[in-house]
Formats: sequence, structure tokens, C-alpha cells
Amino acid sequence: MNSLQQDPSPILEFRDLNVWFEGRHRFAHVVKDVNFSIRPGELMGLVGESGSGKTTTILAAMGLLPAAARVSGEILLGGRNILAYGPGSVAQHRWKDIAMVFQGAMNALNPVKSISWQIGEAIRAHTSLRGEDIRRRTAELLDLVGISPASGKNYPHQFSGGMRQRAVMAMALACNPRILLADEPTTALDVIVQDQILKLLARLAGELRLAVVMVTHDLGVVGAVCQRAAVMRHGAIVEQAAVPILFSQPRHSYTRELFSAIPSLSAAAETRPPPPEDHAPLLEARDVSVVYQRTVSPGDLFRRRQPQPMAAVNNVSLAVGYGELVALVGQSGSGKTTTLQAVLGMVPVIQGSVRIGQMETTALNARAWRPLRRRVQMIYQDPYESLDSRYRVKDIIEEPLLIHGIGATARERLAMIEDVLKRTSLTPAEDFLYRYPHELSGGQRQRVAIAASLILKPELLLADEPVSMLDVSVRTGILALLDDLRRTERMGILMITHDLSTAAKYADRILVMHEGRIVEAGPTREVILSPRADYTRRLLACIPDIARPIHAI
Amino acid sequence: MAKRTDYIWNRIGVAFITVFVTVAFNFVLFRVLPGNAADRIARIPNASPALRHALEVQFGLDKPLLIQFLDYLRQTAMGNLGVSFATRQPVADLLWQSFLNTIPMVSLGTVLALILGIAIGVFSAVRRGTVADHIVTAASVIFYAFPTQFLGMMILIAFSGVLPSAGMVDPFLLDNSVIGQAIDIAKHMIMPVLTLVLTLCAGNVLIVRSAMLETLGEDYILTAKAKGLSSLKIIWSHALRNAMLPITTMVAMSLSSIVTGSILVEVIFSWPGIGQALYQAVLQRDYPMLQGGFLVITIVVILFNLISDLLYYRLDPRVN
Amino acid sequence: MNEMTTSQPPAEVQAGYGFWATMAEAFREPGAMVGLTIVAFITIITLASGFLEPYPLREASCPVFAPPSLHHWFGCDDGGIDVFSLVLHGGRISLLVGTCSAVIAIGLGGAIGIVSGYFGGWTDVILMRITDYFLVVPQIPLMIVIAAVWGASISHVILTIGILMWTSTARLVRSQVMSLKERSYVRRVESLGAGHTRIIFHHILPQLGPLLVANTVLAITVAIFNETALSFLGLSDPDAITWGSIMTHAFNRAAISSGAWWAIVPAGMAVALITTGGYLIGRAIEDALNPRLRISYLSPREWKLLPTAQPRKGANG
Repeated sequence: MNSLQQDPSPILEFRDLNVWFEGRHRFAHVVKDVNFSIRPGELMGLVGESGSGKTTTILAAMGLLPAAARVSGEILLGGRNILAYGPGSVAQHRWKDIAMVFQGAMNALNPVKSISWQIGEAIRAHTSLRGEDIRRRTAELLDLVGISPASGKNYPHQFSGGMRQRAVMAMALACNPRILLADEPTTALDVIVQDQILKLLARLAGELRLAVVMVTHDLGVVGAVCQRAAVMRHGAIVEQAAVPILFSQPRHSYTRELFSAIPSLSAAAETRPPPPEDHAPLLEARDVSVVYQRTVSPGDLFRRRQPQPMAAVNNVSLAVGYGELVALVGQSGSGKTTTLQAVLGMVPVIQGSVRIGQMETTALNARAWRPLRRRVQMIYQDPYESLDSRYRVKDIIEEPLLIHGIGATARERLAMIEDVLKRTSLTPAEDFLYRYPHELSGGQRQRVAIAASLILKPELLLADEPVSMLDVSVRTGILALLDDLRRTERMGILMITHDLSTAAKYADRILVMHEGRIVEAGPTREVILSPRADYTRRLLACIPDIARPIHAI
Repeated sequence: MAKRTDYIWNRIGVAFITVFVTVAFNFVLFRVLPGNAADRIARIPNASPALRHALEVQFGLDKPLLIQFLDYLRQTAMGNLGVSFATRQPVADLLWQSFLNTIPMVSLGTVLALILGIAIGVFSAVRRGTVADHIVTAASVIFYAFPTQFLGMMILIAFSGVLPSAGMVDPFLLDNSVIGQAIDIAKHMIMPVLTLVLTLCAGNVLIVRSAMLETLGEDYILTAKAKGLSSLKIIWSHALRNAMLPITTMVAMSLSSIVTGSILVEVIFSWPGIGQALYQAVLQRDYPMLQGGFLVITIVVILFNLISDLLYYRLDPRVN
Repeated sequence: MNEMTTSQPPAEVQAGYGFWATMAEAFREPGAMVGLTIVAFITIITLASGFLEPYPLREASCPVFAPPSLHHWFGCDDGGIDVFSLVLHGGRISLLVGTCSAVIAIGLGGAIGIVSGYFGGWTDVILMRITDYFLVVPQIPLMIVIAAVWGASISHVILTIGILMWTSTARLVRSQVMSLKERSYVRRVESLGAGHTRIIFHHILPQLGPLLVANTVLAITVAIFNETALSFLGLSDPDAITWGSIMTHAFNRAAISSGAWWAIVPAGMAVALITTGGYLIGRAIEDALNPRLRISYLSPREWKLLPTAQPRKGANG
């Protein structure tokens, strides 16, 4: 913070930046009069939902807009307008002055070249270093981002997500840029890894006096690492301020809406009532284990070896009662989705028992399961993927009725469909019946998927990250719908989430899963406010929070 | 964990199995199909029973099928592919000679078609949507669409007076020096090679262009551009390097059309290669030659498939 | 995958969904319309050839190798038979061979691909080994061997071509089915309680529709192409008139040394035209199905700087 006062002149400044995309018939105005600036050593957040124009804004500074883009305004680098002469004048600053960390490090790295080679390539392109010097500099950069230089000879697919993100950052720093543009640098990462990457970013900004513009949809991330932030909506900045001010007194209604969608963890947990006492549990899983077995290949037969089984879920026990909402929390690969699949009978359980309403399901084959499917329904993560794009809303919701032979006539079924649309707030029903999924928003799609499950009147609803693919502002609606269903219909809901604050706000009980096991289980209040397992404590500590800012060292 | 080298052994194993299946298929096709084997093999449709029996004994057709098969395997493994009906010479010797004649013409044509195909395809993909791209694509589609023999005939008509149009050497050549003979062969090669290049190159251009277009939309190309690399470096180290993976697969899959093209070209220009030998065998119903020719071509194709698998292994660190 | 598409032009450029939307997208490409016109034109002319053939096919109507003239548009062949009539008539069997072989190939390849991709496991391993074998074996030599042993007739030619062409379709369909099967919309329907039949026929097969259409069109042209090659090698039905046999016949009767190019060119052009048409259609459909082709990060065109504050067509879309 001190450095800001010493060096008040901005290193990068956007002045009245406008970007249009030329379409077949019209121009789409995607960035509107954007003004902001950033100083050396400063971390600035650019927050917005998908399509708000935040990525386009920073791509303009790299000169990497698609050919259909029309740009006006100025982007000043150290006081000089780099947009002045069009694409050519922006291009010469790439990587030397302004470097970028792209979203999705897997796709941003060339899969057939080693990490060191890709870092070295940038050095070779912009400096006079050659041979041994490049090797030394590459090792130095890897070290800087916390990768052992020896593993630089690896290829991207041999790295974990967090390591790839570090490698991409090392590559961005190769030519000592003054500005780093980071596009959703932590989006696909788990909380603990996200925390490490954010700390690294904060450290680099401080050590190297880098100006970092961080594009993100996650207000928590902004609160934890940024000094200032701008909120974008429909291509325009609606509000920008220092982070403490933005978080304590948001002025714009949209900003307030965004904040209301991210409940504060401890506040949410404190308001949770104790879970209802229910003696007859709806779902009861005991000591369930699931193993993934690779199929035998000809090579295995030749060598007389057995493919090694991999335990995905290990002795998991859980229970969900009528009208209860239980959250299953954990990082990717912790086995939470597999647990859900096991409850749903879609992966074989090798050990343990699963009972749904007193009925043992582990021994049932696919055919015997079918009638039971009416009672257990699943909501999938990605509403863009989980609806058949060729089906209209009516057909999507009617399909389960046809599968189970419910409703004798089309008229009868239509009445049921209209009713369920009403219950999922897709009203008036006539507006939705004959539309295709791609004509609906993400939130509406997820409601259609929920409606298609509800129409079977299930007792148990399994939800796999039902809101993680949705924009922040529509999440609350979907979660409130689920909350309402379990209250009014006495449905039991088992919900997977990686987001502890969502769990804290809606769940009666929380199960924390790690490496295939449940490491902690208990009422929401206890798990959040007085966690017992180390892992839960670590998880809680890594959630980005304005109250615990990650300071530049 | 399966080791990366397992992949190589796996591919080699598969190649051997494929060769074995081909040999077995050869055996079955010529012996087990309906009709009398002696009739087919000896080409004497109305032989007397005594003669037929004598033939069956001579070809071992009176023995049980399994014994025949083992016998056949042993003979094949030792390189004995039988005796040609037409010339009464060993099939293996005849095929070897034809094979030696085929190699220079077909390999020159294939390699040229590959290099040109990659160069033009990359150019066209990078200049996507420009007039040059449209011209290249249109020309490639049209040349791809011409049947090889038709293209050959057109070239024959165009150059018939200028270049030698049949065979590999001029039997009346006066110049006996090595250089003179080489020039003679080279002259004979121009038309067949040109035909082969034209048919194969068009297909290659289309393959390379679409593979390049796919990689040009990958995010790492945007990264490379952001790194401030020159277009040439982006194309060479990133786009083409990755496009080589699908290109390798596609070219391996088009080996079949290389074989087809070569056979047709040899027939049109009377090139004394293996395709011509196969053609003559068909005309003369020379089954041992047909069988042998099929086996040799298949083994060569399997070999090149194996090479492409190994190349893929070298190109893609993710293979295991 | 689509994080970077946020920087791409908005929805109106994106493809639609479903069979007809894909087709509409494909035929927006001018090349596809050209292809469709060519294929439709040739098909109509060929089907109507009975009414259009100006001269008989079995008796001479003009001198040997007479050049093109007003009465004989494409000239005459070595037997004094009108080439125009021959090509019209030959199209019938060529198209028949193409269509029948393609249907066999796509039917077989599609079925094997779906079974293999959907059920996986050992079924998949065995089916794919067989496919690999047929994929590696050089087709024309195999066709030569089969046709030589089996005898030459049109139905044999159709069967041989069809049976040897299914492999690439099987591979393609298999990989598509494998990825479709893992898509969450299929998993969702599965968890609703739908059986395999419903999933395959209602949710997987329809998604493959455009791809299978593209493949069929391409397969028809490849089959016609292969028939000309078999015919050239003397392995097609000697009595049937096809585009292939017309060229072969002319070549064998020294049309080239007589300078009678007109005995060869029309049939060759007919094959080239239908192949071009089929390729353009098939390609356009495949391109419409491949969203990755819509972006190129190395375009020769760049974005533009506007001197004024507003673009010309009017702002605020």
C-alpha cells in the first residue's frame, strides 16, 4: 500500500474504451466507455458475470481481439497510447510490457511441447539470451512460481491443474513485463489450490512491482487479494472503488445483488436451525465402497497381470431424512460424484449397503432399478449439457412420464407438465412449453431439468453442483427453489457442492469428503463454526474472504 | 500404470496379428469358397475325374484342411509363394522384380505429394477465406474428384508426343551409359509420377487444411500469439506441430488410396511394377500371382501403418 | 473450452441445434449449395435417361470415333455408338452402385459403431479389432482378389465395395457415441429410468443424423469412384454400362492413340462432377458440426481501430 503513494502515476490506463463486434446484420456493443487505471504493484479486480465484456476489455490491451472487432478509445501504457496505430502498435508490447495468463491452463499450453521449452520460447523471441542463459532463466522463473526446475522437462498433461497455472504464470513473467492480465486464473481450481495461486499472485505483484488486472466472477477472490475493483455489467463499468469501500458500501444495485448471492460463511452458519429429528431415514448408506477397474488389455493378458483397481469411494456412510437437505462437500476427485452415482445405482457398489426407503438397492440390476428411479431423481451440474438440445421443454418434461407410463392421455400429461412448470416458477407455462433449451437462460434450463425430475414426484433428490455453472445472480433462485421443495414436499435432498458457503446457508447437515472418505459429518453449525477434522479446517482457511486479505509481502 | 513403451509393443503385436490374419484370409479365400478348388487353381474347368484327382494330389488338396493350412503357412514363411500359372516362374521372384520397379516411381510420387500437400494445405489454412484459399480449395476438390485413370488418360493425351508413354525403359535405346539409362528411366517416370502426385496431392491438401484449421482455433495458438511470436513460428512450432498428429493418422488411413492410385497409374502407363503384375494376374486368372501380390501389398501397407504409429508415438507425448 | 468464446462475436453467428438447424447452417455455405445443385442435376438427368437418350446403345448411329457434332454432342465411340447416350445410361448403374454400396457401408458401419461405442467392454474390443483389420488392409487389392475369385457381376461389385467401406464410418460413429454417452443429457435420461433402446434411438442416433448424412453422401461418391477403378482393372460386370466401363472400354479400344478424347472425357467429367458435388455437401455438413473450425486465431484479417466513436451501421445492438 505504501508503494502506491510513492508512485502515483498509473502504468496502464483505459480511456473511453469501446469495442463492437461486427455481426451479419448489426454491431454488438460489448465494451462501453470503459475507464480505469492501474499502478505498479497494484492488484485490480475486474468483476462481472459471463458476457459482461471483462475478458474483451483486457484482450483489447493485448491486441488479441478477433477480426470482427471494432475498437475506439485509448489504452495508455506508461502514458503512451498503444492503440494509436491499430493492431500493429499494440502487438509490439505483447509479453515484453503486457503479459497475460489465460483461463484454462490446460488449453492455453501447447500439449506437445515441454513446459521449459514453452517458457524458453518466449525468452528467445524477445531477448538476446541464448542456449545456457535461457536454461538458467527458465529455471529461475520456475523456481519463482514454486515449480522445481527439474520438472520443467515435463509436458502439460503430466502436471496437475495448479501446477499448470503456475507454469503459465512463469511463462507470462519470462520477459519481465510490467503488467500482468489474468483471466479467471483460479476458476477451475479447488479452493486449496486457488488459495496458493492467489498468494503467489499477491507475492509476485509485491516482489516484482507488477500491476495485475484480475478478471474474475468471484467476489470472494477480489476481496481477498485486490486493492481496487471495478464491477462490469453489459459491457460497462457500473461501479469502481477501493475494495474495502466496495465491500462495505456498495452503491450500485447490481453490486448489491452480487453480494447478496454470496452469503458470508459464519453468518450463514450461525442462523441455521438445528437439523430436524427424523427417525425413519429416507436414504441410508452404510460402509459403501466403489472401485474403478480398468478393462483388461491384450498387453495385460500377455504379461499375465491384473489391472490395479482404484478405490474411488471408501467406506462411506451417510443418511438423509425426509425433508432434510444434506450437503456433501469436497474438492474435485474426492469421490463425491461417485458417491452420488452409487446411491443412484449407476456405478456398482463392491461393498456396503444402500437403502432407499427401507429397500436395499445394491443388489438390484438395471431392470429392477427402473421402477425405483421414480423415487430417486438427480439434478446435474451443467444445465447447458444436461438437456437434449433437440427436445422442446414440453418433450423434456414429458419424457419421464412416457418412460414410466404415467398419464394415460396426452391431455392428462400436459396438465401435469403445466403444473410442474408452475411449481418451478416457469410461468406462464405457455411461454415455455414449446421452446428449445438454447432459447432459455442457464437458470431457466436448470429449472426445466428440475421440473423434469419433479414430475415423477420423487422422495429423494440428488443434486450435483446444481448452481456452479450458473451466473452468481441466478444461483439464489435455484437454491431457494430446492430449499422450498424440501420444506413443502418433504423431499430429502443430497447436494454436492464445492462451495462451503452455499452449504452453510442451505444445508441442515454437512459431510466433508476427502480422498474417497468422509472426514467430517455433523450439523452445519458445528462443522462450520467448530470443525474437528484438520482437512475441514484447512478448507475453511482457504476460502477467500475480505475479512482475511492476502497481503502482498 | 501402463508404461509408454507398452504402446510400441502393442502396435507391433497388432501388426503381426494383422499379417497373420491376411495370410489366413488368403488361404481361406482361395480354398474354402464354394466350387471345386482344383478347377479354380488349375484352371481346367472340365477335367476328367482322373486328371482332377491328380491335380488335387499335386496341390495337396486331398489332405485335411488343417494340414493344408500348416503347409501353406510354412511355405509362406519360407518365402515360397508358389509358381505363376502364366510364366511358370516362382511368384516370389516375379513379385520382387516388380516391387523393385514400383519403389522409385511410387515413393517419388508419394513423397512429392506429401510435401506439396503439406505446404499448400498450410498456406491455404493460414490464408483462410482469401481468394488464394478459395482457388486452392476448389482446385484440390476438383483434382480429388477426378478418377486416377481419367487423369492419367488426360495426361497421356496432353503429352503423348513429347514424353514416352509406356513402360519403364526404351528397348531401342542406343545410349548404353549409366547416365543415358537413368535419363531414359526418368523420362518414362514423368507422366506416371505426375499423375500420382496430382491425385494424391489434392487429397493431402484437403486433409492438411482441415487439420490446420482445427488447430488454429485452439487456445494455445492464442497464447502463442500473445507471447509475441512471429506468424511463421506460430505456424511451425505450434499449429503445424499439433496438426501433424491428425495428419499422420489421416495419411496412414489414406495408404489404401495410395495403393489404388499406384495400381491404376502402373496399368495406364504399363509400368512393370507390382500393380501391373496384379492386373496381369487378374486378366490371366493367375491365382498364385494374385494371392502373392495381395499378400505383399498388404504387408507393405501394414508396415507403413506401423511406421505411422511409431511416428505418432514420437510426436505426441500423451500417447501411452 | 468455451471460456475464450466470450471474446467471439455473439449468438447470431453460433450454429443452431438439431438436425435441420445443422443442415441449414451447412447449406448457408455457398459451396454446399453448388454441390447440392450438381448432385440434384446429375441425379435427375440420370433418372430420366430413358426419355433423354437420343440414340440406341446397341447399334451404331454414326461413324467410328466421330468427333462431337450438332447431332452427336459428345461424339461417338469405337463402335459408332453415341457417347452422350452412353454417359446418360451409364449414370444409372454408377449411381445405383454408389447408393447401394453406401447404404450397406453406412448401415454396417453405423450399427457396429453404435454397438461398439455404447456398450463398450469386450464387445467393443472385438469389434474394433475387426475394424482395425479392415482399415489397414488395402481395399482395391482386396476387392481385386474377392472379385477375381467371386466372379464379376454388378451385385458382387456392390457388395464388395459396401463391405469394404464401412470401417471409417464405424470408427467415427463409435467415437461420437462414446462421447455422447458420457454427456450429461444422456446420463440424466438414464437416471430417469430410460432403457438402452430409448437412449440409443431417441437420444443418440438423432444426434448422429447430420454426420451420417454427410458420410453417406461421401460414401456414394467414393463407391462410384471405386467402381470405375474396379472396372478399369477388368473386374466389373463386362456387360453393364457404367461411367467406369465407358472410360475403360475407350482406353482399351485405343481412343487415346486415335485422339478421340471425347470417348473418355464425358464419363470422366460425370464422375468428377458427382464426386465434387458430394464432397462439397459432405464437407459443409461436417464443418457445420465442428465448432472449432469457426475460430481461427491466426486470421490474415485483424481487428480495426475506429477513428470515430461509433461504428457506421449504428451502435447499441
